[in-house]
Amino acid sequence: MTEVPTLRPRLKVLSKEQVDAIHASALKILTTMGVKMEHPGALKMLKDAGCEVFNDDWVKIPAKLVEEAIKSAPKKFTLYDQNGNTAMPLEDGNAFYGTGSDANFTIDIETGERRRAVLSDVANFAKLVDGLENISFAMTMANPEDVPVKDIYIHAYAAMIKNTNKPMVFIADAGRDIAVIHRIACAIAGGEEKFRAQPFMLNYSEAISPLHFPENIVDKLIFCSQKGIPICLPSGSNAGGGAPVTLAGAMALGIAENLAGLVIHQMTNKGAPFLFGPNVSVLDMKSTVVSYGCPEWSLTQAALADMRDELYDIPTWAYAGASDAKVMDAQAGAEAAFSIHSAMLCHANVIHDVGFLEYGSTSSLEMVTMANEIISMSRFFAGGIPVNEGTLAIDALKRVSGSPGSMFLTDDHTFEHFMEAQFTPKLLDRSRYDAWEDSGAPDMYRRCNVEAKRILAEHEMKPKSKEVLKQIDSIVNQ
Amino acid sequence: MSDYEALMEAVLKGDIKTAVAETQKAIDAKDNARGVLDNGLIPAMDEMGDRFSKGAAFVPQMLRAAKTMQECVKLLQPLFAEGDVKSKGKVLIGTVKGDLHDIGKNLVAMMMEGAGFTIIDIGVDVAPDKFLEKVKETNPDIVGMSALLSTTMPAMPETIEALKAAGLRDKVKIMIGGAPVTEKYATQIEADSYASDAGSAVAKAKGLLGIS
Repeated sequence: MTEVPTLRPRLKVLSKEQVDAIHASALKILTTMGVKMEHPGALKMLKDAGCEVFNDDWVKIPAKLVEEAIKSAPKKFTLYDQNGNTAMPLEDGNAFYGTGSDANFTIDIETGERRRAVLSDVANFAKLVDGLENISFAMTMANPEDVPVKDIYIHAYAAMIKNTNKPMVFIADAGRDIAVIHRIACAIAGGEEKFRAQPFMLNYSEAISPLHFPENIVDKLIFCSQKGIPICLPSGSNAGGGAPVTLAGAMALGIAENLAGLVIHQMTNKGAPFLFGPNVSVLDMKSTVVSYGCPEWSLTQAALADMRDELYDIPTWAYAGASDAKVMDAQAGAEAAFSIHSAMLCHANVIHDVGFLEYGSTSSLEMVTMANEIISMSRFFAGGIPVNEGTLAIDALKRVSGSPGSMFLTDDHTFEHFMEAQFTPKLLDRSRYDAWEDSGAPDMYRRCNVEAKRILAEHEMKPKSKEVLKQIDSIVNQ
Repeated sequence: MSDYEALMEAVLKGDIKTAVAETQKAIDAKDNARGVLDNGLIPAMDEMGDRFSKGAAFVPQMLRAAKTMQECVKLLQPLFAEGDVKSKGKVLIGTVKGDLHDIGKNLVAMMMEGAGFTIIDIGVDVAPDKFLEKVKETNPDIVGMSALLSTTMPAMPETIEALKAAGLRDKVKIMIGGAPVTEKYATQIEADSYASDAGSAVAKAKGLLGIS
């Protein structure tokens, strides 16, 4: 028989009617309420394009401009690694996972204690990411307290690029530090045009829900558009916090804010790469934290992937592999697995925040290591079931059933196929009880701790050239 | 059993219509306004605060109860005698310079107001000079500063310095909060208190002023 196509499991949560209704509501927000645009240049650009400006810096954006921006935004783009190799082709619902940004605390890998994060933590997380096969991109994971706050993002960025060659998602405060970071990136790429052709980093900036675009945020948006730095602009339209408590309303608001950003972005430079996606989690109504382990966030990003496929056709920004638990316990495992698997199944594209505990306030090297394993389980599942002559294995069945005493374990078919036919866990323990006990009865946290330490000790990242490192240091120290 | 059981029940449920009607009933019956407050509204809010701290009530329920109480107080207001209503203290609150986030700050302000503090909310992106000017103008017991961004946190010590330079630092207690803020940071910049959320902000504020 001939090979039949393998179905890639795809989780859908919205009908076309729901997609259209949410989009219509987002357009209604932009055309009737508008956004507060505190960037004079962007405001003028919108006004010149025919938008109605009112109450000083509020602006209504007509549907026509939104549709044009959706049309001109790239339907796919690629993030390269820092050596110029294709790393993250953002198309066809490819899912890539990475860490998160700016946690104040980290779980110390030696003592197990929660402590304030420092710059060496940024370096360690980047190195761990470099050594984990299912973690595709790095973010800082820490808000280091031992560097001057003014240049915090420059220092964090420099610490990351010295420890990983993978793509990165970076944060900047405003136009000043993003320009410095861009100069460092160009030094790595070998020039501005080379970086533009093969970008290896994506900027994460946030507008403020509801409908508020501060000047420094729009500065970064315009800079990224001009320089060809891919950007995502979620706004924190969390249900019950920055946005209505109902998920449809929160999504419509977050999408409206993304679309407003996209309009400015595409008007600045048509065809510049933009990653679509509001962060729509929930504000917990008891603790008032924004939850990082709730089912709602997984649901809204699945909905966003549906909107991408039905309507926008722009790669999406998402989250997974995080938890509200304070330590890496069963809750952390459950929440991480839930979000990682649903992000995989809804075909979200760039999935961040892997490895966070405590609603994003604490990072954990062990948690990233565990997530790496969960992602590999999930990827196996998402690969579906290849159906062909080899996998249907009629011949193997004939051989085994036809000769007494023979078994599948000894059959060549098993020998030839078992590696790809089965998922082989590395950290999830399937050993027999006695063997587990003899090895010290380590639980998952302990095993992840050992593995993370091993990677930090043994993994060798291909170092950047002395010349590039010198350039980076001189830019950082200017 | 309180004479105001129906009123308390309505406040706890956030049923503004019934609570206002019950308050009017008490006024019509020539009840003492202070009594309605002390034996009806305040015990109801105390109960709500207790439920909330035990995790048995949600933030929107708490805020709705506070709003219900305020509507009732509006009716009682003209009937209060001098000294009937004492504020627990005056709190000047704002998000610091460079930071435009206000959800957390607003929540703290609402919770404190619900707990009986007088709130002067001076908004977002408040420069040290502006804090200073407002402290001079309003003479608060507590100055509350909020920041969501780590890059705006340095505006907190700058504001404290500005108060010091003007000789006003010792006239006020300073509380800080926000996602990147920690207890350690509060100690480092010599703030008087740090609160991790709106509920604990109320408790800390009471502690600072030595009230229950």
